[in-house]
Amino acid sequence: MQSKTSFFNMTLFKKNISRTWIAGLVYFIILILSLPVTFIISNANAADDYMADMGYTMEMRLYQHMSVVPTASFAMVMSIIVTAITFWYLFSKRDNYMMHSFPVNRASLFFTGILSSMVVTLLPVLVTAILMTGVAVGMGTASVSCIWYWTIIVVVSTILFTSIAMFSLMTTGQMVTAILFYFTFNFLYLLMELAFRLTASALMFGMGQALTGITFKIWSPIMFIPVNTSVTSDIQTDDYGSKVIGFTHSFDGAQYLLIYFIAALVIIAISFMMYKKKKLETVQDFISVPWLKPVFSVGMSFFISMVAGASAASMLEVFKPFSFNVRYIVAIIFITVIGIVIFYATQMMIEKTLRVFSVKTLSKCLGYTVAALVVILGLRLDVFKIEDKVPAEKNIEWAAISGEYTMVFQDQKNIKQVRELHKNFLEDKKELRDVATLFPEDGTSTLDIKYKLKNGDVIVRSYDVINTEAKDATATYVAATQPILDFVNKPEIIKEHVIGNTWNTGFIKEMTFSTYIYDDNVKDFVYDSNEFVNLTDKEKREKYERVYKALLKDVDEGKVFVQKFGYDEDDASISDNQLYNDFYFTIRDEKNIYISDLDLYWGEQFVQTMYEQDISVALTRDCKNVLKALKDEEFYDDDDKLVTYGEYNKIMGYNEDESYASY
Amino acid sequence: MIEVSKVTKKFGDFVALDALDMRVPKGAIYGLVGPNGAGKSTIIRHLSGVYKQDEGQVLIDGQPVYENDAIKRRYAVIPDDIFYFTQANTIDMMKFYKSMYPNFDEALFKKIMDCFPAIDPKKMVRSLSKGMQKQVAFMLSIASRPELMILDEPVDGLDPVMRRQIWSLIMSDVAENGLTVLVSSHNLRELEDVCDHVGIMNNGKILIERSLDELQTSITKIQIAFEGEMPPIPQEIKVLKKITNGRVHTLIVKGEPREAEQKIAQMKPLLMDVLPLTLEEIFIYELGGENYAVKDIIF
Repeated sequence: MQSKTSFFNMTLFKKNISRTWIAGLVYFIILILSLPVTFIISNANAADDYMADMGYTMEMRLYQHMSVVPTASFAMVMSIIVTAITFWYLFSKRDNYMMHSFPVNRASLFFTGILSSMVVTLLPVLVTAILMTGVAVGMGTASVSCIWYWTIIVVVSTILFTSIAMFSLMTTGQMVTAILFYFTFNFLYLLMELAFRLTASALMFGMGQALTGITFKIWSPIMFIPVNTSVTSDIQTDDYGSKVIGFTHSFDGAQYLLIYFIAALVIIAISFMMYKKKKLETVQDFISVPWLKPVFSVGMSFFISMVAGASAASMLEVFKPFSFNVRYIVAIIFITVIGIVIFYATQMMIEKTLRVFSVKTLSKCLGYTVAALVVILGLRLDVFKIEDKVPAEKNIEWAAISGEYTMVFQDQKNIKQVRELHKNFLEDKKELRDVATLFPEDGTSTLDIKYKLKNGDVIVRSYDVINTEAKDATATYVAATQPILDFVNKPEIIKEHVIGNTWNTGFIKEMTFSTYIYDDNVKDFVYDSNEFVNLTDKEKREKYERVYKALLKDVDEGKVFVQKFGYDEDDASISDNQLYNDFYFTIRDEKNIYISDLDLYWGEQFVQTMYEQDISVALTRDCKNVLKALKDEEFYDDDDKLVTYGEYNKIMGYNEDESYASY
Repeated sequence: MIEVSKVTKKFGDFVALDALDMRVPKGAIYGLVGPNGAGKSTIIRHLSGVYKQDEGQVLIDGQPVYENDAIKRRYAVIPDDIFYFTQANTIDMMKFYKSMYPNFDEALFKKIMDCFPAIDPKKMVRSLSKGMQKQVAFMLSIASRPELMILDEPVDGLDPVMRRQIWSLIMSDVAENGLTVLVSSHNLRELEDVCDHVGIMNNGKILIERSLDELQTSITKIQIAFEGEMPPIPQEIKVLKKITNGRVHTLIVKGEPREAEQKIAQMKPLLMDVLPLTLEEIFIYELGGENYAVKDIIF
């Protein structure tokens, strides 16, 4: 008669606890120090500290405190420590054989082990939460729900990480490897994405910025949980940051916690099945699950060779720029060779012998190599539509073009326009992707096109571009790139996106124009600017306003903030025309928040609320209107005080190679 | 009690057990002999429920062993390399066994402990010598009141006095409680005095499996001498081996010893001695013809 399956064994439970309680105690001490002790110390003088003067309540202090206490990181470390100690017997032949010869079935060993691990990892959290609640209530906080939301996050994270730890322990017969696998599984998606992005940035057209568009996905819980599930508190203060005027808080990411909880149960179920089927003779094996062996071997070979091969091909370009096709061929050679080496190395690790050179392994290696080459070829032919990807209009939150200036478009009309320009740009990739080899005489600059999607994803493409007016620029090249310049150089686009959204609603708070006169005594240019100290604020603003209007006129005439592609340090039209004089102003609108295209582009908008912005203007001698206004308004009095970069460099004796001022 | 049928186990391409058959009757003391790498520990791990066979059946009292904790509660295993929990002393281990084995007899445990005064019950078992650890394993196993004991190289590392003491404990349990014992060893001499059944393993197979009675009545060594040439041996006497040294001939004869003795006596030898064979010799002569490697197994 087969015995009934038992899922719990009290003797084993006690035995497990007796070996892991010390880790739980250390964890408890850390939690106690991080939560109640820190809270008590930092709020010991809550009645008369500076926060009290600002109007902070104890509830605000508690929410702020709980929003910064780590969640997933604690859980991640504790889970592997306790689970590894509990299931230590799986990694020693003697312990493994003896434990499994006792009258305890694997279900009992598995679930008793998990339960005891979770008791040791969760009990400190729950006790700390109770103590923290007591402390918070004792210090006068009415609402303590943030403590329990934090607890839920840690509990779910712990269950999730314990399940991942269990899975890792089941995959191998070596403890060190199990711990390595645990961390690898936690970062697996991120690592795979990084490998793809690194490869893409080296080999694919427009993917130079591939690494900057990375966002943490739900598949990488250790990165995702702290960012997306937390107690969030926002304390609003007045303009001077001296008085609290509002307090909001939220408990973010409950839906993710539910997903992670379900995922943990699934992973535990899978781990249990693996344990049931685990062959105990695989103790000390690098990988003890048969199906994982080819996955490991192929995965390691593929990702390592892709990154290493693509990077090696890119590095060789230090000596001579490759055309797109040559770079691919070089990369394929590297990827193939490195892939084969890694494949055999992983076979040696798996088989625990150097004697892996058999016909069977060779055929596996050939199979892998062909598959890897197919993928590389797929990238080359863009079968995954990565290079040609232009997201659907309805999915775009904003679209941006970043060249000399960064412009972010949130309105449908301009988003549509950016998409059209991008699609037009991609129509003839052949010439565009090889600008470095096709136009070696022309300096390149970078044109970035970026989309922020409504689902939070970011797509960024980066292209090398040359001056559309260059002698050797072909008609095809100009046809692809000039429309983008025509778009970004439109006066209304410049006003809205270079000066900013408050260009016609704000007032000019400050304005500075510097002049430079060469002084023989000091052998340098001497700086000067008119501060208008005798004028009232009103008079100054009127003066600034007149100059600003002249600047807008120059914008309308296409004389300022005009972008070009490419970079040519010998371009006389710039060095002889662009002024070394600084001109900048501050525009302020107290009713409308200033939307910074640059902050929006880098995801920093609304980190702090801004009502004003400093604008720096690169003037040229062609900016007749603003130069006249500056002179009329007495910012300078003599045209001799206008100095171009060319003049400055010449007088200072800087040549092209050692140009300090340049432009 | 133990029934192993056509059990095959492969480790990669290596066949550790090759359609192995083995029968251990209830109440028997079964000695499993074989050289290193024969597969003794592998079949013991199957019987312990540690390994799962690729093919065949491993039954104890008609029930499969693997993942069957009800059956496992009825027998005790002492592996060649014994496991104790870190930090656990003899008393801790006793408590553990007591909770694992329902028939554990604490009074018996204490009684056996008195036979091993050198063991400090409060000392960590892992810090004891290998021999002492073995003694603790025997104390725990015997006190578990098992119906079957599976012992892998059990007295390895013990001094002769301790070996005798251990075996006497086991034998008394066999006599009093009908305990069945499966004991593996690479040395047949070790088992000769205690086993009533013997199985010889090599290359993952049981080459021969017999009761001691069967063996002792199946083969005989007879030394004879004649005045002149030795007359032809009657055909009904099956001679496994004949060694001639001058006028003295040594015959290893298969079959009923008394019958062989009578037939040879009719040949009127000048001298005739019927000598006992050791287990080692029996196996050598029994298997020598068909598998020469058996010599390596036994000596």
